[in-house]
Amino acid sequence: MTKVVEVTNLTKRFRNTVALDEVSFNLEPNTIYGLLGRNGAGKTTLMSIITAQAFASSGKVRVFGEEPYENAGVLRRMCFMRDNQAYPDSAKPDHAFRIARLCFPNWNQALAERLVADFRLPVATPIKKLSRGQLSAVGAIIGLAARAEVTFFDEPYLGFDAAAREIFYDRLLEDYAEHPRTIVLSSHLIDEIANILERVIVLDNGRVLLNDATDDLRDRAMVIRGDNTKVAAFTAGRAVIHRQALGALSAVTVLGHLTHQDRAALAANDLEVSPVTLQQLVVRATQAAAGTAADQGAAR
Amino acid sequence: MTRVATVMKLQFVNRRTYVGMPLIILSGAFLLAILILLLVPTDELKFAGGAVAAPLWYFSVVGWQALALTFPFSQAMSTTRRDFHLGTLLTAATTAGILATIYLVISLIEAATGGWGMNGYFTIPGLSGSQLPVAALSYFVVAFLLFLFGYTCAAIAKRWGGVVLTSVLTGLSILLTLAIMLTIRTGSWGAVVTWFTTQGLLGTTLWGLLLTVLMACGSYLMIRRVEH
Repeated sequence: MTKVVEVTNLTKRFRNTVALDEVSFNLEPNTIYGLLGRNGAGKTTLMSIITAQAFASSGKVRVFGEEPYENAGVLRRMCFMRDNQAYPDSAKPDHAFRIARLCFPNWNQALAERLVADFRLPVATPIKKLSRGQLSAVGAIIGLAARAEVTFFDEPYLGFDAAAREIFYDRLLEDYAEHPRTIVLSSHLIDEIANILERVIVLDNGRVLLNDATDDLRDRAMVIRGDNTKVAAFTAGRAVIHRQALGALSAVTVLGHLTHQDRAALAANDLEVSPVTLQQLVVRATQAAAGTAADQGAAR
Repeated sequence: MTRVATVMKLQFVNRRTYVGMPLIILSGAFLLAILILLLVPTDELKFAGGAVAAPLWYFSVVGWQALALTFPFSQAMSTTRRDFHLGTLLTAATTAGILATIYLVISLIEAATGGWGMNGYFTIPGLSGSQLPVAALSYFVVAFLLFLFGYTCAAIAKRWGGVVLTSVLTGLSILLTLAIMLTIRTGSWGAVVTWFTTQGLLGTTLWGLLLTVLMACGSYLMIRRVEH
């Protein structure tokens, strides 16, 4: 299948900082992506540039094989809802949906109306008077009902309560099953969305740290727990991304697969092995990257 | 074309900004002017002066809001910058056109009734025949020009930040003051007045139209590079 989005050596410099540093990746059709990373990792900047709302300092973005900037045919097949999306001054949710209906060719009014009911959104209240959660609902509804071929959600559920978040995930999966498309979710609530992500792209300090299928990532690391010396012996020579010690016990997160011999050794030494959650993996990976960067800095 | 029309609908979501407020200001200024004209006990020609300009100033606010508040949403609606610009300017032209039409109707009534039967004028007095539509046209141009002034200021602020906008506005004020000072020092007020008189209302309006076109093009170049 052809790529829907191709990002090549994308760099974005602001006056004193490099927000994106030679970022390259592709987005496949009909896949749900998680765009993860810490605050300031460059997630929003990246989505802004792909949707031609901001400009790269260097590098290239192609969407459906074309340059997206001022390309109406390409832009209308994409939708990018920001966490702090601004709306016209006196707009009510109803207005916003009516405009979205005109702008997005695949807009589904029935879905929009159902989501309004699900989120209990007051559609005739001026948007500037809505609560944070209701404001997020407006963006979530537009993003879902637009059914754009490439949809970006930047922190779509700020202010959502647990029930609203669940509605969002459920409706997204339901609609995705019937109308597959490429969805990119940028979020801090990694474990909560881990189950719906097919692939994960982790940005750290403007670089792509991980870009893998979610299942592969989960298999990639594990936590070894047990007696300090035995854990140290087992993990010696392995890629350790996190160490935690509690008295005589320690828990060490290592990368790599376990062989049969490994499993035998673990059992013989009374060591416990458990999978890492996606959130742990991302946190550890970004911490490890920060550590490496600090080491390099110190060495210089 | 439908995409440009969509942007117009998007702008007209702010019905209060585009239609409500200008109409309230215009009717308020009009009623106030008529009341004051009634109070002045003279049969000589009475002109309400600045009252007629009240809704025009508001257009710079409309221009600012059209960009500052609506551009980010138009981007989320996957609109191109070109479509946003064209749609927004057409919206402004429509509103300015409505205002100029109301102005024309009032001026026709005033011409027909000899200033409401009391020689008092809300619109520019002493005009007749073909001069009335020309006055309405200049009213349209000034409204559009002020809209573009607000719009361009917002574009500068979005593109380069508030400090640059303040510097540009301060710079313009200084240049304008210097120009006035120079005119006074060299004693060329007469020449300036003569120039305007030779141009006439239509000529001056057309110069204004040229300035409008320049600002429309200039702000387009800025909006093409505004980052969001």
